[in-house]
Amino acid sequence: MSAPVERVVVYGGGVAAPMAALAIARAFGRLGTQVTWIDTAEAPSPHAALVGLPDLVSFHRLLGIGDSALIGSASATLNMGQQFAGWAGGGDTFLHAYGDVGSAFAALPFVQHWTRARHAGLRVALEDFSLAAAAAKEGRAGEARDPATRQAVRHGWHLDAAGYAALLRAACERVGVTILPGADARPHDGDGSLERIVLADGEAVTGDLFVDADGALVGLLDPQGAAPDNVFCDRVIRGSAAPLDPLPLYSRVAAHDAGWAALIPLGDRLAVEIAYAGARMSDDSARAVLARIAGRPVEAGETEPVRATRRARPWVSNCVAIGRAAGAAPLLDGAELLLLQLAVAQLVLLWPIDRSVMPEALIYNEELAGSHARVGDFTAQHFRLNARNGERFWDDARAAPVSAELAGKIDLFAARGMFAHFNHEAHVEDGWALCMAGHGVVPRSFDPQASLVADQALMAEFQRQLRAVAVDVRGMETHAGALARIRSGGG
Amino acid sequence: MAEPLELVIIGGGTAGWMCAAACAARLVPAGVRVRLVESEEIGTVGVGEATLPQMKDFNDFLGLDEVEFMKATQASFKLGIEFVNWGREGHRYIHPFGTYGRPIGEADFFSYWIRGRQAGVAARLDDYCFPIVTAWQNRFMLPNGDPADVRNAFAYAYHLDAFLYARYLRRWAEARGIERVEGRIIEVERDGESGAIAAVKLASGERVAGDFFVDCSGFRSLLLGSTLGVELEDWTHWLPCDSAQAVPCARSQDFTPYTRSTRRKAGWQWRIPLQHRTGNGYVYASAHISDDEAAATLLANLDGEALAEPRVLRFKAGKRKLAWSRNCIGMGLAGGFLEPLESTSIYLVQMAIMHMLTLLPAKQGIDPALPAEFNRVMDVEYDRIRDFLILHYLANQPDAPLWEHVTAMDVPDTLAGKIERFRHRGHVQAYRDGLFGPPSWQAVFVGQGIEPRAADRLADALSAELLEQRLSALAATIAHGAASAPSHADFVARHCPAPAL
Repeated sequence: MSAPVERVVVYGGGVAAPMAALAIARAFGRLGTQVTWIDTAEAPSPHAALVGLPDLVSFHRLLGIGDSALIGSASATLNMGQQFAGWAGGGDTFLHAYGDVGSAFAALPFVQHWTRARHAGLRVALEDFSLAAAAAKEGRAGEARDPATRQAVRHGWHLDAAGYAALLRAACERVGVTILPGADARPHDGDGSLERIVLADGEAVTGDLFVDADGALVGLLDPQGAAPDNVFCDRVIRGSAAPLDPLPLYSRVAAHDAGWAALIPLGDRLAVEIAYAGARMSDDSARAVLARIAGRPVEAGETEPVRATRRARPWVSNCVAIGRAAGAAPLLDGAELLLLQLAVAQLVLLWPIDRSVMPEALIYNEELAGSHARVGDFTAQHFRLNARNGERFWDDARAAPVSAELAGKIDLFAARGMFAHFNHEAHVEDGWALCMAGHGVVPRSFDPQASLVADQALMAEFQRQLRAVAVDVRGMETHAGALARIRSGGG
Repeated sequence: MAEPLELVIIGGGTAGWMCAAACAARLVPAGVRVRLVESEEIGTVGVGEATLPQMKDFNDFLGLDEVEFMKATQASFKLGIEFVNWGREGHRYIHPFGTYGRPIGEADFFSYWIRGRQAGVAARLDDYCFPIVTAWQNRFMLPNGDPADVRNAFAYAYHLDAFLYARYLRRWAEARGIERVEGRIIEVERDGESGAIAAVKLASGERVAGDFFVDCSGFRSLLLGSTLGVELEDWTHWLPCDSAQAVPCARSQDFTPYTRSTRRKAGWQWRIPLQHRTGNGYVYASAHISDDEAAATLLANLDGEALAEPRVLRFKAGKRKLAWSRNCIGMGLAGGFLEPLESTSIYLVQMAIMHMLTLLPAKQGIDPALPAEFNRVMDVEYDRIRDFLILHYLANQPDAPLWEHVTAMDVPDTLAGKIERFRHRGHVQAYRDGLFGPPSWQAVFVGQGIEPRAADRLADALSAELLEQRLSALAATIAHGAASAPSHADFVARHCPAPAL
């Protein structure tokens, strides 16, 4: 018979460690699994905010995290999308909204009809057919009553990182996770696996399985395993400014001449961050650019270097790396929280059967590599497709190599408005369409079956859909109204 | 659109007329001119054909009436494939078109079954699958549409006469604007500059030119293989069967709503019940048995009077390295061949057609991203089926030379890890595209004797008592549901009786 995992030790801090400890305790605590979290006291960067994508909402159900607590403890606001500004070098903007884009008809995806109409002279942008995008821009959230469209509108959260970490910690305490102070703790290995972690006071903590949110544990077992990842921006400065009023339903990512800056609306402040290439922009100019893009005074923190490494084997022997310890996430598109969530979910799914031999590691490592690659592709598209011609940073970014999968995806969309799907896709087709079209790609041709719809019928259908979007937007709540309803427990 | 695209289909077998019918439905009204060249002198391979549930989607896509289609093709219903003597002599299991069990906790049903099995409280896996239990009683009913009912948890396919299906589609397609050109092709003309196919010349002297060609010429792969020189990627080392003999026999009393595959010394024998007769065939490796012995084995194992002499077919397992090269797509046997062990032939044609419809180039030229995507997705389809077929061969007893070879051979990397992972914890990776979801892998693994050593720990949260109760309640619900279905023979006789031929 196999020997089940009975004692789990989670090591690290930030958001990753308590999220993993909580997920494990909720899934396996009732089977007698003991979860100990050695808290390295690593706090999220001051001013840090997180962009949580819609999948986080369902993940929170599994974690037992309530929506109203997010608003109360993490200054959460609703996140219906991410706006990109200036990625073509001018006053251009587009919104990557989370939801459907138009309604399929005549048995073909909407994008095919839109492409055909564009070739016939239509000027309306793809995102104008998206209820989620239109609602977010109008400051409307929630669901329309008796919707005229059948479009899905999804939301995630904007979260204060420190508040979110505290919330997860409190939830860990509630479900019986043992939390030990772990500053200056030292891991010890033997025979290629981890044996124990010795705390500053000399207490030795042993476990059947170690979950590493820090990187020190997996680094001990696989010292050469972290390979550097190329990044366009190697520095970041985070800060805070006075909150926006009214609160937008989306964050904004504005390109500047050596990188980008993001504005993430929270309930009690506007979180801001600027990422840039140190070789092309000084720290001082970065601070000035950040204040300009924020449009208000910014209280900024220190310059932080962007460390980007990735592990081919995040699970080694009895040690499973998650979050940043497994591999740095892109700084955009909510990738950090998304990859963390995927890793934690994967670990629960692949919970080892037998503490003495864990072939689950192979599956986990494959899954994470796939997720990392596909999530990375999504962010890489913005750099690949930027149209800030003549600026060194952006010309280099456009010319930088991308994965064969992303190259194929862009080629196919540009040729036919279709999507090349791979395993481990984390973003939906319509999300890709909004971004690629937003970056200026209009497919060169369309599915010949689109011509089955007569020109007149097509125009009538487009008008009908645009009207339906407008009607539904009017029937939705304001952001403030939605937050108040959620806070009072109204679902 | 200015000048219409001219599309030419070469060959009028099942693949050719399926493609023509799809073009009639979706391209002709969109302004594409479509012609099909075939010769009445050349026979088609069409035998009794077993299909997958996706075929219903194809017929629905065309807008065919199911009852009319079934009458016209002497069709019967199919709930899965029964494998006899696979894994070990005397054993039988069904690979169903449906799922096992239903959710009884937060782990998937299969994990509870593993746990129940180890605790000695679970019946065999087949007993938790409605289509299997129904199939083994020779009963059939359509899914009842209630998502909460086990009697809805399946899909179905057809057994049909592929020759009649092609004939039926021909009438349908010709009535909708497909131009059929009769004639034997004596030459394929290529464009001197681009190397693309320009036209085919017929024995009559007629020249049929086009912008785009679909090669449905069968094994000879006249355009894609012979003319454009696209080679076959040879998979014989994994799938050594290279011959088949097919013979129809009189319909028996045993009117099964499933295909049967019986493992034999040098391959396996199929049995496909149609309304007017039963299709049979022996797929074998010619290195391990003579044609005469194969024919004798086949004829000795029919459950009705043979209605013809066995017909010999030769083939090689593999796929063309490019399914789309220049201005030509190869479909059906012209694009590749995988033995019909999992009834995938028509499915592969259907996939090629659906991808072609959306990726068809404009008249002005071919955007390279279009063939790149077509070839990528078709490769995924072929590779997935290949691995699944190899699994059937691999998990057996080495009781004859062919079986000694296939049970000891190296398997593709894509398959090797799957088996160990399944043994360890019943893990089946779900993938995005291509055939065979987790229930199919579970069916064949367990059916052929590869059982997991342990289950997902999440399944441990259910008490042993509750587990036993829920498993037995489920088996009872399924048995009860199956007993409420009429016999397959009665259902077909009432629902879609075909005229005698």
